Amino acid sequence: MLRKSLLLILVAACVAFVHHTSAQTPTDGIMMSKGEICFGANYMKDSWDEYWEGTLLRDNGNIGTFTRTTIMPMVALGLTDKLNVLVQAPWVKTEASAGQLQGVSGFSDFGIFLKAQAFHFSLGPGKLAFNPTVGFGFAMSNYLEDYAPFSLGLGCPDLTLRAILQYKLNMGLYVRGTYAYNVRGTATIEREYYYTTHGIYSDQVDVPNAFNYTATIGAWLLNNSLNVDITYDGQTTDGGHDIRRQDVGFPSNKMNFNRLGAFAHYYFPFLPGFGVLGGVNQVQDGRNVGKAMGYYVGVTYQFQIFNKGMVDEPISE
Amino acid sequence: MNKILSTTILFLFLGVVLSFQSCEDEQPNYIAYEPYAYSSLDENGGEWHPNLLTSSSQVGIPAPADAVSPEYQAELAALKSLSASLTSDQQAAVDYWAGDGLIRWNEIARELSAKYNLAPAPNADGSYSVPDPANPGNYPYFPFAHPPYSCRAFAYFSAAEYDALISAWHYKYQFNRPAAFNADPTIVTHLPKNDLPGYPSEGAVIAAVAKDLLSALYPLEKDYIAAKALEHQNSLQWAGLNVPSDIIAGDSLGRAVGKIFRMRASTDGMKNAQTPKAVSDSIRDAAQATYGWHWVNQETPERKVGITPAFGKVKTWFVPDVAAVRPPTPPAPGSAEFNDDAQELKDILDNLSNDQRKIANFWSDGLATYTPPGHWNKFACDYIVEYQYNPLRAARVLAYLNMAMEDAGIACWDAKYHFHYPRPIQTIPGFKTILGTPNFPSYTSGHSMFSAAGATVLSHVFPEASANFQGWADEAAISRMYGGIHYRFDVEAGQESGKTVGQFAVDRMMTDGGE
Repeated sequence: MLRKSLLLILVAACVAFVHHTSAQTPTDGIMMSKGEICFGANYMKDSWDEYWEGTLLRDNGNIGTFTRTTIMPMVALGLTDKLNVLVQAPWVKTEASAGQLQGVSGFSDFGIFLKAQAFHFSLGPGKLAFNPTVGFGFAMSNYLEDYAPFSLGLGCPDLTLRAILQYKLNMGLYVRGTYAYNVRGTATIEREYYYTTHGIYSDQVDVPNAFNYTATIGAWLLNNSLNVDITYDGQTTDGGHDIRRQDVGFPSNKMNFNRLGAFAHYYFPFLPGFGVLGGVNQVQDGRNVGKAMGYYVGVTYQFQIFNKGMVDEPISE
Repeated sequence: MNKILSTTILFLFLGVVLSFQSCEDEQPNYIAYEPYAYSSLDENGGEWHPNLLTSSSQVGIPAPADAVSPEYQAELAALKSLSASLTSDQQAAVDYWAGDGLIRWNEIARELSAKYNLAPAPNADGSYSVPDPANPGNYPYFPFAHPPYSCRAFAYFSAAEYDALISAWHYKYQFNRPAAFNADPTIVTHLPKNDLPGYPSEGAVIAAVAKDLLSALYPLEKDYIAAKALEHQNSLQWAGLNVPSDIIAGDSLGRAVGKIFRMRASTDGMKNAQTPKAVSDSIRDAAQATYGWHWVNQETPERKVGITPAFGKVKTWFVPDVAAVRPPTPPAPGSAEFNDDAQELKDILDNLSNDQRKIANFWSDGLATYTPPGHWNKFACDYIVEYQYNPLRAARVLAYLNMAMEDAGIACWDAKYHFHYPRPIQTIPGFKTILGTPNFPSYTSGHSMFSAAGATVLSHVFPEASANFQGWADEAAISRMYGGIHYRFDVEAGQESGKTVGQFAVDRMMTDGGE
């Protein structure tokens, strides 16, 4: 616990931020100004036909190709120029192409994030910005977390503390790094005994905390109407155990992965406020996770919902 | 202002984060209970009838040194010094084992069942290997503690504990050497005292039987089990309960009884239960010829041999002839009666309520669990603690419970491979389940049989709680329909047979002297 706390403080001590008046996600460097609201919806599809059982990459004839489809509505709001809130409510459907187990669908984990602008200043030919972000997630429905790989989520409350540091050249190129620590609570399963590395008499499963990180290089092109980037991201759980040979996954598993992805977001110059986005990603290596290939598409619409009022400093790119 | 806001948020979250952490590492790997004084001593327990030993004196132990002898006095003095002050580890061991340790060994047996209950993974060519008892550490590891393996493991371990304790009681009251703390009341004890004679130590008997049988049943765990047994026997001294001569005699008695049970196990037919494919095919073909149907494993790649096709031929404890308790022939696939039950299953799975899902999962007791017999052992231990049974009486409950459940398993497997009835995922096109379908035929439901037999024995022992046991047995049975893996006729026939099988065990209990 001391180790976890120290890490948290480290995470808290290292954060940054850049700002652009556009839509945002919990991991980007974008801030909206006060009174701006952005509605978005993403459609995501991830699928895999191989997964890591511990460190062993294998297929499974009783799963075939596993597909996870997510429809995620989200809303972001500029509470102030330096504090944004974002909520998302994903609906998820999981299914396997082979085997006899039923897929599942329903709302998974509600997420609410607060993103702050800690500093944002000119440095050489660009601007350096630091955004600390905190997030909280919880299950929106009574989905079963003890149903790998179909489970809609981990089923535990989840607190995320994220540092976002971005350096953006005035010409539009930027690099960004984020580092997050997810503190996860326990999942409640529907049986009173389970085996991890030993037997446990409880219906509570301790879901391991996790580190998440992203490294991004990107650019704002076409007069700031197109944002493209390439991201390498990953997760390493803080503890957890491997899936044993021919066992099934469980919420207390170690779940590590690294993934490479590309993303684009286009803001229509002729349709103020409207944007479309899309991206692809591919898990490169992992442990107790699927070797997933994913893509997503989405739309965003953004407008001023209340007056900006006075601001501390002019917001500009 | 923004700075203050950011800082406040940061501290707020740090606070919540710390509160999240507080519940970490508190998941219990055993069920804590307050050590208790036994509600009775069963002084005549040495006259009860063992199930496998020919008599309570079949295994001999030497007479103990006299209470006034110098060697016994020296043992008492050493014990007095040993138990006077304990390290925190010693105290923790005393608290964990709580003296006789029967409940703890039952938990260890359950944990080993859960740990080893994993099916072999397919080989690269789509075949499956079978665990080899001669090379248990070669993958797939031996054993695969599926329900037949586990119910038998629980039965041998529990039946041996009971016979060994009957014998221990016989010698306790034959030699009648007082417990160490009664011989020298100045010895500090860390657990409730009782007036059982001390020689041989019942805790040492229990540890020795457990070590002997569980090491044979789970050979890769030999070192783990030996360390547990050593700690248990040492804890008897740390607790101020037994001197070394009590423990040595108990250990020797336990090992000798364990060996007698292992002899039975080596010839009970289990070694032939996991048949070669040719035998498995002939069993399938016989069902096809007689009934016009047969079960086929639906996994990919297909498992060509089900779990223990000849487990129905393993030697029973009480049921004289499993074919005599075989249930009636199930309705043929495609018949009106079958179609009704298949339709019912489809309707259940299409409209599964949260409560039904919960029941299916609560009783799933599938891979990587301690199986349904393990679940009933947990119930039995809860009631043993509640009724503060002495270890002999507790062992009696666990012995009959587990022998009855092994008999239920044997009778169930006889029906399963005699009728070779296809599972719902085989007969109902496009049918999907929420539980994995096990690798053996459908009729009758193992959960239903194990649970009905277990509830019959426990209801006899704890009649006040009989409504609970019957309710759980019914829930365990119907849970298999909610999971989509059994038809109603599987479940109902299994419950009927399970009750019949359980009654054989109860009939024997009523004449064993322990009523």
